[in-house]
Amino acid sequence: MQTIELNKVRKSYDQFVAVNGLSFSIEQGGVFGLLGPNGAGKTSTIRMMIGITVPDSGQINLFGKPFERKSLNKVGYLPEERGLYKKMKIIDQLVFLGELHGMPAGAARQKAIEWCKRLEIDAWLQKKVEELSKGMQQKIQFIAALLHDPDFIIMDEPFFGLDPVNATLLKDVMLDLKKQGKTILFSTHRMDQVEKLCDSICLINKGNAVLQGDLKTIKSGYGKSNVQIEYEGNGDFLEKNPLVSAYNNYGNYVEVRLAPGADAQQLLRMVAERSRINKFELMEPSLEEIFIDTVGKDNA
Amino acid sequence: MHNTFIIAKREYLERVRSRSFVIMTLFIPLLMFGVTVVPTMLANRDSNETKHMVVVAADRDTAEMIRSRIEQRQDKEKSGDKADSKIKSKKGLPPTHFTVEVSTDTTDSQRAALTQKVKDKTLDGFLWATPDAIKARKLDFVTRDVSSFIENGVLGQTVSDALRRSALKSKGLKEDEIDTALQSVDVEPRSPMGKDAPNPQVMFFATLGMVMVLYMTVLLYGVNVMRSILEEKTSRIMEVMLSTASAKELMAGKILGVGAVGLTQVAIWVATTLIFSAGPIAAGADMLKGVLSLNLLIFFAIYFLLGYVLYSTLCAAVGSMVNSEQEAQQLQFVIMMPMILSVVVIMQVFQHPNSPLAFWGSLFPFTAPLVMFTRIAMQQGPLREIAWEIAASIGLMLATIYGMIWLCGRIYRVGILMYGKKPTLPEIMKWIKYA
Repeated sequence: MQTIELNKVRKSYDQFVAVNGLSFSIEQGGVFGLLGPNGAGKTSTIRMMIGITVPDSGQINLFGKPFERKSLNKVGYLPEERGLYKKMKIIDQLVFLGELHGMPAGAARQKAIEWCKRLEIDAWLQKKVEELSKGMQQKIQFIAALLHDPDFIIMDEPFFGLDPVNATLLKDVMLDLKKQGKTILFSTHRMDQVEKLCDSICLINKGNAVLQGDLKTIKSGYGKSNVQIEYEGNGDFLEKNPLVSAYNNYGNYVEVRLAPGADAQQLLRMVAERSRINKFELMEPSLEEIFIDTVGKDNA
Repeated sequence: MHNTFIIAKREYLERVRSRSFVIMTLFIPLLMFGVTVVPTMLANRDSNETKHMVVVAADRDTAEMIRSRIEQRQDKEKSGDKADSKIKSKKGLPPTHFTVEVSTDTTDSQRAALTQKVKDKTLDGFLWATPDAIKARKLDFVTRDVSSFIENGVLGQTVSDALRRSALKSKGLKEDEIDTALQSVDVEPRSPMGKDAPNPQVMFFATLGMVMVLYMTVLLYGVNVMRSILEEKTSRIMEVMLSTASAKELMAGKILGVGAVGLTQVAIWVATTLIFSAGPIAAGADMLKGVLSLNLLIFFAIYFLLGYVLYSTLCAAVGSMVNSEQEAQQLQFVIMMPMILSVVVIMQVFQHPNSPLAFWGSLFPFTAPLVMFTRIAMQQGPLREIAWEIAASIGLMLATIYGMIWLCGRIYRVGILMYGKKPTLPEIMKWIKYA
């Protein structure tokens, strides 16, 4: 079953077209990345998916049915704009949000305590939100989205502002939810952060889908056009080389993108002539590169 | 509906538990107590202040007459003349006692000498009643307390009285004839309803009191709705809420929750008043009983609820439009305008209950809660006579509330997700048109 299905959805604000005929669907249990730069239309798309706004045209099916508010009790949403009632106690806040999602107060309280224990903030249950650090508030927000055990979880910029320890903690929770068969949608402009989590993606730019489908298929379509080289010695082969279209020097190693039609073997011989090679590996391009490549072509 | 209830419940509990609620609940009655009871107590306390003054006139008779009138007035006050002391206490000033000396030296040097004494604070004031001044009906009272105009006004009356008396006396009238001629006359308004009609003074103050409570609570809690929406907007919790509740449910929950807090507060005040008034001011309560009929209390509740919903809906729209407290305050004034206008109209209604202004003011939905309520309270004769006007005002208000909820709901729905700059009027019009 498709958890969510968008069919030629369009939304405009005056002359500005935020979402332009977007179509995609997410299979139940799938992890989906809605990717694009700031202002691409990601949040506008999500807001239509959960009925905050209504599309100008097109259809949205949620859990196999046309959108209805009742379905929202099975959706968990972590918005990009984080916010909680500052003066409210953590536990009261979570119970309140749980009740709004149709949970009985008692069950909501029990779940809230469980989650807080799991995310190591149970010592703060009786504190007010304003007494918490930014990172802890993030966790509370995260719990608020998951408290009612939703089948479809939407996370807008989930790792924004988290330190690596907490980011890993949340990533583990997400992987666990994936194992439980939940459908997850990530929306972010930091593609490197979700690349390893997603099964399929949709890249959008200026309200249009520029690339979508199964992540592995997309990547293999681009072929192994990247080379990672670890070397000692002269690095001037990188400059003005017809075989190299772009490169990134990371200090310990360089990542080279091959020019179209260039042969990696030729590059290997060239580098070997001047330097000592410790590692030479052909790689798939990162999502970010694919995105820049696609959008760059679009804009040209 | 379920969501609306949960939201209203949260709003109510968080507010009632808050420190500011407790403070407001205690503070307002204390303030009321402060402005009504304390000055009365001060006024009833005997003032120890004694002022020393000199009356200067060309002939001793005139000077003695003025002196005796001032002293007589003081004697009357001391003996506790009921009507007089009541007026005094309303003005809230303790009476001042004068010790009066007379002088017949009207030379310029005497005036200069007395002025110097006033300057040196060895004298509190002198009255310059030379024949020229009396003829011009304009006497100088030289004092350092030029700003205590009530005291000086009373002095003016006393002196006028004295001069009239001396004029009549010079025409050969006897003391008791003068008293009769100068005795003031009270005109007492009588309602055609006869004995059942309540005391007009008590009715006036009771009505004014209720109108003020209506005005304050509607404004206070309307503004609270606005604040709380603004708070949700600035704390960015709106989007979390919207992922489960609709904008309409949010707005309704907010208005109901805050309104319930308002009713709780008023109920606490009424209960405390009843408890405290049971003993000491039982007599006063008896007087009020004639005015505060059950009917009136029901109308109070009706107009409070209608007024509150109407204004808080407007406030909700404003709260959703703005991004900061400052912006809110600018727009808050626009909302308060009709309320302030109502108070102005009410003053007219008290004077002319049947004027066209009173009529239209009680039908216009934004002034109706206060104006129609005042008219009902002031109505002489059966309410049946203005029944259709009451019905029309309630009907118009309900229709306006319905329209406003629709309109403001649409503004609210878009506004709560708009951060950044304050919207312009054309932008707001566009919001209303959005699907």
